[in-house]
Amino acid sequence: MTDAPEPSIKDFESALSELESLVKTLEDGTLTLEKSLELFERGVKLSRYCHTRLEEAEKRIEVLTDHGEARSAPATLSDSPSETG
Amino acid sequence: MTDRTTLPFDDPLTTMPQPNRQVFTVTTLTSAIRTLLETTYREIWVEGEISNARVWKTGHLYFTLKDTGTQINAVMFRSTVRYLRFKPENGQYVVTRGRVTVYDPKGEYQIVCEHLEPQGLGALQLAFEQLRERLDHEGLFDTARKRPLPLLPRKIGIVTSLDGAAVKDILTVIGRRYPNTNVIISPTRVQGEGAAREIVRALGHLGGIPGVDVIIVARGGGSIEDLWAFNEELVARAITTAPVPVVSGVGHETDFTISDFVADLRAATPSAAAELVVTPKEELAAQIRRAEDRLRSAVTAGLQQRRAAIHILDRRPGLAGWPARVAGHGRYTAELSHRLNSAISSMVGRRIRDIHTVRLRLEALSIGRRLGQIRARLVSARTQLAQATRHAHTDRATRLRAAVGRLEVLSPLAVLSRGYAVCWTADRSVVVRDATAVRPGQSVTVTLHKGELDCEVRSTK
Repeated sequence: MTDAPEPSIKDFESALSELESLVKTLEDGTLTLEKSLELFERGVKLSRYCHTRLEEAEKRIEVLTDHGEARSAPATLSDSPSETG
Repeated sequence: MTDRTTLPFDDPLTTMPQPNRQVFTVTTLTSAIRTLLETTYREIWVEGEISNARVWKTGHLYFTLKDTGTQINAVMFRSTVRYLRFKPENGQYVVTRGRVTVYDPKGEYQIVCEHLEPQGLGALQLAFEQLRERLDHEGLFDTARKRPLPLLPRKIGIVTSLDGAAVKDILTVIGRRYPNTNVIISPTRVQGEGAAREIVRALGHLGGIPGVDVIIVARGGGSIEDLWAFNEELVARAITTAPVPVVSGVGHETDFTISDFVADLRAATPSAAAELVVTPKEELAAQIRRAEDRLRSAVTAGLQQRRAAIHILDRRPGLAGWPARVAGHGRYTAELSHRLNSAISSMVGRRIRDIHTVRLRLEALSIGRRLGQIRARLVSARTQLAQATRHAHTDRATRLRAAVGRLEVLSPLAVLSRGYAVCWTADRSVVVRDATAVRPGQSVTVTLHKGELDCEVRSTK
């Protein structure tokens, strides 16, 4: 563990690509035990973030008024046909 | 028509008799001519080639319309120029509708154009080509300008009509691929007068909403006139200046609009636009899971590797032999102790025999008192000797027991219970300590904590 502050996670995309490059680094297997455990922890954090982001969006369909205000869409739109499969 | 045109100028000699000749001022003549031309050529169509085209600061367009034999000045006022869908350029062959009038200050007649259309290529097509060329020249189509789409948009902005099929198509695709997506629609007309302005305003609204990080501009298929709004320069510019990437999905596969060229990504249809913008949720989830699996196994593999390294280190000669060596020391100790014991025993025996001999000799000498003294000393010496011997013996025995105790702790059997194994030659006569002591093909016996293995040496290293 280092005292350096945990690098923040910018967005889903950067989290996923950091996770994947981190996995590659780990798979090279040239790291010290401490470093690889540190990366592992970071990786777990990143994947948790990704899962959260994946779920957090709320299904919402809104329509803007002429003044740019959002209101929920008319039922005919938000009840878009749910497909089978 | 003939009668009118010939009316005043038909025969100047007869119509203007010398005595009461009618003298026009320039102004009245010009005015008369103007009236004549304007009433006669009030709405006519003329075709010709444009030359000397120029737009003045006032916004009016001036040009000359010519054919092989002659030419006529033409003007199109700003209010009409606004509605032109292409840019008149020198060399273009056009048809214009207008009226003939006279420009009083110069006494020149000219045609005031109300409508202008290119011959050959349709006006819209020409306009399209012109705008495309111009924007391309500006670099607005450059691939370097294209922004990548976000992998997981937080909110998706949609610019389209609420009435069309496009919006339903898009919502269907999104609902299927990523049901919990947040969508914000900025409804606009997508064809007709004013549609372009609405699209521009919608792009502005959506671009300003926090969380919207991609915008779809969409419209279903139609004729070039129907899709025209998406060929308007202001729409094109609004797309290029949008703060987030814009995906165009206008018309069908074969329709290309200027919006398509300037968009960060062109989709063939509205549905295709939605597909480009929304990666299926399950795909993303699977990607994360794969990364997690690899993460776990990479770390596990790392730990196992280290464990193996420690195990190998454990068996290196420096460390590996130590239980055996301790055992060896133990045996040596036991042997020493045994030799000591027998040495003591034989020494004591010899002394006792010596004492017997001496006593016999003394007794034989029969030296009374001295003999008694000597006997007493002898008895004491014997006692001392016996004691000393006993002590020595006890001490050795104690140490021996301690050594044996230690040995038991380190006994091969105890070691075996911790996972070590002893490798013997097949006849169990020799413990194999060195790989060079056996040959490939030779049989060895491996003693485990429980049971034994009959093995054959495959190779030695």
